[in-house]
Amino acid sequence: MRSTIDKSLLIILLIAFLGCMFLIFSWVPPIKASNAAEQIAQRIFYFHVPSAWLGFLAFFVVFCSSVAYLSTRNRKWELISVASAEIGVLFISLVLITGPIWAKPVWGIWWTWDTRLTSSLVLWLIYVAYLMLRRYLPDGSKRANLSAVVGIIGFIDVPIVYYSIRWWETQHPKAVMASGDGSLAAPMFFVFMFSLATFTLLYVYLMRKRYQLLVLEDLVNKQFKEMEIL
Amino acid sequence: MMRAALAILKKDLRMEFRSKESILAMWIFSLLIFVIFNFTFEVSRLVMLEIAPGLLWVAFVFSGMFGLNQSFALEKENGNLRAMALMPVDGGQIYVGKFLSVTLIMLMFEALIFPIFIIFYDLQLSLEMLKLIPVILAGTIGFTSLGTILSAVAVHTRNQQILLSMLLWPLVSPIIIWSVTLTGMVVSGEVTPAFYPLLLRVGAFDVIFFTLSYMLFDFILED
Repeated sequence: MRSTIDKSLLIILLIAFLGCMFLIFSWVPPIKASNAAEQIAQRIFYFHVPSAWLGFLAFFVVFCSSVAYLSTRNRKWELISVASAEIGVLFISLVLITGPIWAKPVWGIWWTWDTRLTSSLVLWLIYVAYLMLRRYLPDGSKRANLSAVVGIIGFIDVPIVYYSIRWWETQHPKAVMASGDGSLAAPMFFVFMFSLATFTLLYVYLMRKRYQLLVLEDLVNKQFKEMEIL
Repeated sequence: MMRAALAILKKDLRMEFRSKESILAMWIFSLLIFVIFNFTFEVSRLVMLEIAPGLLWVAFVFSGMFGLNQSFALEKENGNLRAMALMPVDGGQIYVGKFLSVTLIMLMFEALIFPIFIIFYDLQLSLEMLKLIPVILAGTIGFTSLGTILSAVAVHTRNQQILLSMLLWPLVSPIIIWSVTLTGMVVSGEVTPAFYPLLLRVGAFDVIFFTLSYMLFDFILED
């Protein structure tokens, strides 16, 4: 049952991603931009923004499952929060990589200490620290408790970080961020939504796989322990 | 009601006053930060004045890490952490005790380093400077309220010190950003109407961080 769900998910994902590629690179009309480089670079938007959305979704899941863990002490929730934190860090990394790739041809610089960029980086750092913490702690209920606490504090901190940097930014003249194209044209909106849905599906698939793997790891560890006792 | 918290506070302060370990180390370390900054950024006096507020907070925060690390490392060394967990009181009380001792020690260190800061950066002493007291108080409380709980988390790991920095700095960055802005306003003598709302905001987030940590501390002590 589980494997049929996974298999069909994978097939749907493959088709959806091929569809995404077609829509993004061939179907959707290019934006009105002064040069070709900018027109090409703009297409990264369809990967960049869904990745960011996925990162936030993943961290929200970390928060919820951390709360669930602390109230139920069910190992299942611990594993879900780890899996989700890993995927979240992966996708925020993608955001931090695709962002500069777009920024270089359009803004002329790879990086600027703008609100969004800085808060994404801080967000990434928070969850990298979360994963490092888990790595440094021995497996057990202590680790589960401590990481759940950090998972909760971390997520509550995210809006505060964003807020603080935005306040700080207004002290300075508005920089390069203003070059956004305002509202999306209809075909662009469609492609964006399609990409968003595909990425969300990818999250579901990755979560399922990572969770299954963690359960298997648990099982292997348990059997190793039993062997040691013998 | 808060008897356990006060007992922990008293114990920590007594230990600190006998050894003067944390305050002295933090003070010397801050001095080093000032000196190293002077070497690495050879800038004019005017520029120095502009970066001075940031530098002050760098000194506070870097040295504060030492106090935070120390606070729980000492408990762990002597197996006291377990004893605390076994105490028949609410975990929140232990948090409050530890938070108070760390905060007081850090405030004392800040009071001792501030005159040096004024001398090094040739700041004008005036009544306006008194506005720094609530700023430093609010910033420090924000830093230590999160720092205390994260120090209790990090103490269970092998790489306690580096992990505490990794956990704390991103999380506490809003407080630091605001504190630097506020300090800058006072030091440059340009206290705008935005000063008090911002100060209030730091205070509000202090309360949020403190309450959150207070509520969650029980889970950290559990085995």
